[in-house]
Parts: sequence; C-alpha cells; structure tokens
Amino acid sequence: MAKAVGIDLGTTNSVIAVWEAGEEKVIPNAEGARTTPSVVAFTEDGERLVGQLARRQSILNPKGTISSAKRFIGRSFDEIKEEANAVGFDVVEGPNGEARFNIRGKQYAPEEISAQVLRKLVDDASKFLGEKVTEAVITVPAYFNDAQRTATKDAGRIAGLEVLRIINEPTAAALAYGMDKKNHETILVFDLGGGTFDVSLLDVGDGVVEVRSTAGDTHLGGDDFDRRLVDYFADEFKNENGIDLRNDPQALQRLFEAAEKAKVELSSVSQTQVSLPFITADASGPRHLTMTVKRSKFEDLTADLVERCLGPVRQAMADAKVSENDIDEVILVGGSTRIPAVQALVKRLTGGKEPNMTVNPDEVVAVGAAIQAGVLKGDVEDVLLLDVTPLSLGVETRGGVMTKIIERNTTIPARRSEVFSTAEDNQPSVEIVVLQGERENAADNRVLGRFQLTGIRPAPRGEAQVEVTFDIDANGILHVTAKDKDTGTEQGITISDTSNLDQGEIDRMIKEAEQHRADDQALRQAVDARNELDSAAYQVERVLRELGDAAPEHERARAELLITQAREAVQNNVGEQEAKERTGELLQVAQSLAAARANASHAEQPAQDDEDDVVDAEFDR
Amino acid sequence: MVEEQNEDTRAVDLLNDDLTDVSPEEIRAAQAAVAAQLETAEDRWRRAAADYDNLRKRMAREIQTVREQERRHTAKAFLPVVDGLDRALSFGVDLDEGVLGGMQAIRAQAADALRALGYPEIVIDGAEFDPQLHEAVSVVEDASVPPRSILAVTRPGFGTPERMLRPAAVVVTRRPDEE
Ligand SMILES: Nc1ncnc2c1ncn2[C@@H]1O[C@H](COP(=O)(O)OP(=O)(O)OP(=O)(O)O)[C@@H](O)[C@H]1O
Ligand SMILES: [Mg+2]
Repeated sequence: MAKAVGIDLGTTNSVIAVWEAGEEKVIPNAEGARTTPSVVAFTEDGERLVGQLARRQSILNPKGTISSAKRFIGRSFDEIKEEANAVGFDVVEGPNGEARFNIRGKQYAPEEISAQVLRKLVDDASKFLGEKVTEAVITVPAYFNDAQRTATKDAGRIAGLEVLRIINEPTAAALAYGMDKKNHETILVFDLGGGTFDVSLLDVGDGVVEVRSTAGDTHLGGDDFDRRLVDYFADEFKNENGIDLRNDPQALQRLFEAAEKAKVELSSVSQTQVSLPFITADASGPRHLTMTVKRSKFEDLTADLVERCLGPVRQAMADAKVSENDIDEVILVGGSTRIPAVQALVKRLTGGKEPNMTVNPDEVVAVGAAIQAGVLKGDVEDVLLLDVTPLSLGVETRGGVMTKIIERNTTIPARRSEVFSTAEDNQPSVEIVVLQGERENAADNRVLGRFQLTGIRPAPRGEAQVEVTFDIDANGILHVTAKDKDTGTEQGITISDTSNLDQGEIDRMIKEAEQHRADDQALRQAVDARNELDSAAYQVERVLRELGDAAPEHERARAELLITQAREAVQNNVGEQEAKERTGELLQVAQSLAAARANASHAEQPAQDDEDDVVDAEFDR
Repeated sequence: MVEEQNEDTRAVDLLNDDLTDVSPEEIRAAQAAVAAQLETAEDRWRRAAADYDNLRKRMAREIQTVREQERRHTAKAFLPVVDGLDRALSFGVDLDEGVLGGMQAIRAQAADALRALGYPEIVIDGAEFDPQLHEAVSVVEDASVPPRSILAVTRPGFGTPERMLRPAAVVVTRRPDEE
C-alpha cells in the first residue's frame, strides 16, 4: 500500500515525515539531511536543481535561483512588491495580476517552484521507504488566505501528489502532541524559525482544532540572532586589529558559520569558544580570531530581538480574548525556540507554564502532518493498542533482593525465563516469591504470590538448576512456573491482579524507586558482595575438605579462620567494601591451596572461581 | 445499553451451550459470527507477524543509516582541524623547510583518514563548477576562461556526490555580460 506522508513546506527549509508501524518518523533526503532547503534553481544549461544543490550555486546564478517561494505563493503582485525588492531574482506581474518569477525570460508561478521542492521530498522519501509515495498532507501558516491555500494545494498537484488535506502549521504541532484528544483547552503555539515568527492561539476539544487568532513577524528569526553575533565578532576584531572582516566575503562567510555554531552551543552551555585561525593577514603576518562568548553577552546582544516577540504574543492573546490564565498548554515550534532567553520570554508571557518541547521543534510540524495523514488513511486507528507492564516483575533471591525477570514497560504478551539455583548444600526445596516493583530490596516491593518447588535431589549448593518462567498474557494475567531441570518437576501459580493498580499507585512506586535509587544501588551491591563472599568461603571450605591432610598446616589454619570470619561477616550484613576485601583474601588462600593441591596430587580440578555462569542467582529459602 | 444486553443473552455459545433448543438459524448465525471472529483474529495475527518481520528489516536498514550519520557527524567535527592546517600552511611559506614538510605530511594524513572513512578529498584540477561537488562562495567576471571555471578553492571538500561530507568551497568565473 502506498504511504501517505506529512510535509512541512517551509519558507527556508522543508521537512517530510511518515506514519509507519504505529510511529511517526522524519525521512532524510538523498543527501542524508532531515531538512531540505526550499530552494530551486534553473541553470544556464536548462538543468533543474532542488535543495542543497540549488543553494550551493545560488551566488553564481542569482537570477535563476528561487528561495522563499512561500512568501509569494497565492499572492497578487501588488501585495508583495516590497518582498520582491528584497530578493535577488526577478518577481513580475502575471497576466491576472498575480506574482510570477521571471527566470531566463520564462515566467513561473510560485506554486510551480514549490512543486519542485515537494517533488524532491517525495522522490527521496519513496526511495528511502522503498515504496511509492502518492498522497500527502501539507501544512501552511494559519494566517494563509484561501488563495494561498489553494495555490499550495496546486503545488502538490503539480508535483503529482494527491493532497489529502492542507492543515495549519500550529494545528499540526498540536496533533504531534496528541492535544486534539483533550477536552476544551486553549493552546498557544510559538513558532520562531530561521526567518519567520508566528504565534497562534488554538482551541481544541472533541477532536476539533480551531485557530482563534494568529499574529507574527514575517522577518524575525534565527538569522537575525546570527547577524548580531557576526557584528559583535567583527567589531571586537576590528578594535583589536584594525581590520574589518565584513569587507572580506570569505572571512564574512566563516564568521556567519561560526556565529550560528556559537549560538547553537549557547543554547546548552553558558559559554563557548569561537576560533577562526588565520582569518586574515596584514603586513605583520596572519591574524587569528579567538574569542570566548558568554551566554549573558549573547543575551545582551539579542535582547531587543527577543523583546520583538512580545508584541505579537500580546496581540494574539488580545484578539482571542484570552488572558495568560486561560492558556492550558504552550507548544514551542522552530529551531530558534531552543534559545533559553526565548523560552524564558514565553514562560513569562504565559504565567510561568512549562512549554511543550519534547518533539524536536524543527520537525514537530511535519510530524503532526504525518499523523494527520495516518489518520486520514485509517492507518492510525488500525494500530492495535498494545499494553505494557506498568512495573517490573521478578522473584526474591539470596540476600532478600529482587531479581527482575520482566522489566517495566515491556510490551505484553511476553514470556521470559531465567535459571536459578540453591544457596545451601542439599537444599530440598526453593520458595518462589513473586514480586512487583522497582526497588532492589524485596521487602520494599509488592508480593503478588508465593509457592514452593519441592523434591529437589540432594546436591551441593549452586548445582541444582531451577528454571523460572514468567508468562504474562495480553490481559495482564501472569503465570509463573518453576521447573527443576534435573527431575522435570514443575510448580506454578497464576496471578490475575498484576495490572489492577491505579495509575497513582504506579506513579508513587516509580517515584519512590527514583528517590531511593542511590541507596538501593548501594544495598544491591552490598548484597551481591556478601553473596560472593559467602560463595568464596564455601569454595575454600570445599577445597580444604578435598585436600584433607594434604593441606599445609599453616594454610589450613589461615583458611579456616578466614572462613569463620567470612560467615560472621555475612551474618552481620557487613558493607560492600569489607565483603570485597574478605572475598579477596579468601581467593588468595584458595589459590595457594590450589597450588598445594597441584603439587601434592596433580589433582585435575583447580578451585573454580565462580559457580556455573548460566545461573543468574540463588534461592536461599 | 439495554439493547446490547438483549443481544448478549440471545447469542449462542457454540462451545458451552446446550444446543438442543436452539434453532438452526441461530446456530448458523453463531457459526458465522465465530468464523468472522476467527478471520479477524487470524488477520491480526498475520499483520502482527508481518509487522515484526518488517520491523526487523527496517531496523537492519536503519542501523546502516545511523552508522552513516554518526560517521559523518564525527568526521565533520574534525574538518576545522584540516582547515586550520591548510590556512597555517598557506601562511607558512617563510617557515623552515623541515617544519613545513612535517605539516604537509600531517595534512596528508588527515586527508587519508577521511578517505578511509569514505570521504575522499574532492580534486579540483581544472574542473568545471558542479553543484554536486562544489559550493560557489565567490564569483569573478573573467572573459579569458570559460564560464563556470573554478579559479580557486577557499576550503577543501570531502566526499562523493552520493556521500558528501562537505562540498569544496570555490571561486567561480562568470562571463562579464551575465547577470
Ligand atoms: N540549538 C539551537 N539553538 C539556537 N538556535 C537554533 C538551534 N538549533 C537550530 N537553531 C536555529 O533555528 C533556525 C532554523 O529553525 P527551523 O528549521 O525551524 O527554521 P525554518 O522552518 O527553516 O524557518 P522558517 O520557519 O522561518 O522558514 C536556524 O536559525 C537555526 O540556527
Ligand atoms: Mg518553519
């Protein structure tokens, strides 16, 4: 079946995503990038280039390279005169007063240019997915009028696509967060991209999303922030060296790249290093630009840009007759919303609400469009709702700890087995205590049930093999069985209330586990260390027994002392450190005893370092 | 709600009910219902199995993509070092010959390492501008050579059209009458 995709047809960049196997996913283009420049070029030889390739040759072919066609689509020439003057290519008036591009004497409609971008996105996606893409949902800004929407739809048709629907960018963002399912809420979508800024207020409820107001600034974005840094670098450099790097096109280009890099870094760290070695040279030799930029400096330089976001937000709120208290959710869209000062401003304007930004802000619109495409194709509903285990399931093992068998968040139905052993010589039975929870200490978890597996044949500790299987069905019903692999004896229990905890209880248990993580880990390590110490004592004891009189007297005395001390230490629940030290001493003795044994009788079996490694833990009851 | 209950009580359980006082029509209807359920169940099961198989294949492909992305990302982080070396070399004409030679050797090592990662250095040598390999950063009018000739490289490029790390930044010619 052909796939339906969602496309964010942007002013600067476009993104394509698909709903596949119950998940939305951004598709990289043929060059491996997740965004594609919305740029189309017609070369002198009649070749057409789209995306990165078109951008690379733009200064060589300024009249034949069209960028930001989105600013012109569906507009009349009169409406865009000012925009037309700001671009390097020729915008002319078409026969019906519409905006057209004049490229090498031929006129093109903006929708034909956008169609080229769509074509590339879809062709690359088809290649990536291994199946033809024929249907798409395309997004447009909420403020687009009918003519602009129709022209965008036409662009899709020209590209050979069936446009399932044109949806608003902020609506797509809300869909990406599943907010259409909410009950009557007011959502503010704040979209600051590379070159444009849009604010929208949405009303959602009962699966309907309604745009209540929009506002924005068509010439405000991340590029302006870059420019501020470029000027700062250039001014500082000029002060020190007397050379204005802005007059050197190559140096300027490097400055722009360094500025964007620094800006992006300052979104996550509080200072960054800019280093442009050999940026220029004068009579006295090469010059380097090295500078440290603090986030606070960057914020000073761009404070007025951030403030410029304020007006449109207030405007949108006033138009929708909404106060900050009425806003239930805030969604951040556009790469520039990663700037901390921008986030702080948004918080300030919306009464301190934490904004939603878990979905990559420069992909969230395409993702929402893909979800819409999936819904329209019926793919989304079709997904079988899969349940997961809300908490981990496991058994209690030696030392009173929980050994997990099915981890939390495992999709069910699921079946897992592990092999355990005995903790004592000739232990005739094991007790299986079925636990649910996230804590290391068995007693801190919920006991779901317990049973005994009896009739285990006499054997040294660690030799019996008990296979414990947890099988949880689609309804959350858990069957636990324990099987003695030697005799085939099996015992089991069925527990039906693994999933009837309410969400509050589950959240509480997970939170407690998080709070106690450090303590629990220490406890677990201590128990593991004591178990190891106990095993080491047992092994040394066995070697002593096997050696009998062959054991050198002083070694025997020392070994026996260490064994007694080890047992006491285990009894007294000593800490991890002490247990490890004592284990080390015992292993040393074990080694010298083994050497003694080798000398005495060329015995074939040296003391083993550890028990059978297929065994995961031991049952001490 | 009430309607639903009525439906339920009338439904025939083919496996558990005593079927003696059930009419043949009801049994046929129940059989049809069971057959339909079985069909849905089988369909779902097949879909689940197919989903899993497709997921497995997709993961295999995706691992390739992720590896490629990671490799590109890592290689890219080292490009400033190569660029720095190049600039240092371009200013190093008055350096001691031994030092200069050493630096050139380091530069060659860097290019070798990138080639080994699948990103050979883009050779310019008399080439015509090709957006698959080059990025025009500056244009000069020059009637003495064909248009779109590359006059200089301002920053070396690495990769192939299919696997591009960074195109070579170049100065390109244009016919004086163009534009
Ligand atoms: N971590 C970051 N910190 C600051 N800015 C960032 C970060 N990541 C990306 N950006 C900026 O985000 C901008 C690109 O965002 P996005 O991809 O949303 O824009 P766009 O959709 O192409 O632009 P527009 O919507 O204006 O057409 C660039 O200016 C980029 O520098
Ligand atoms: Mg955008």
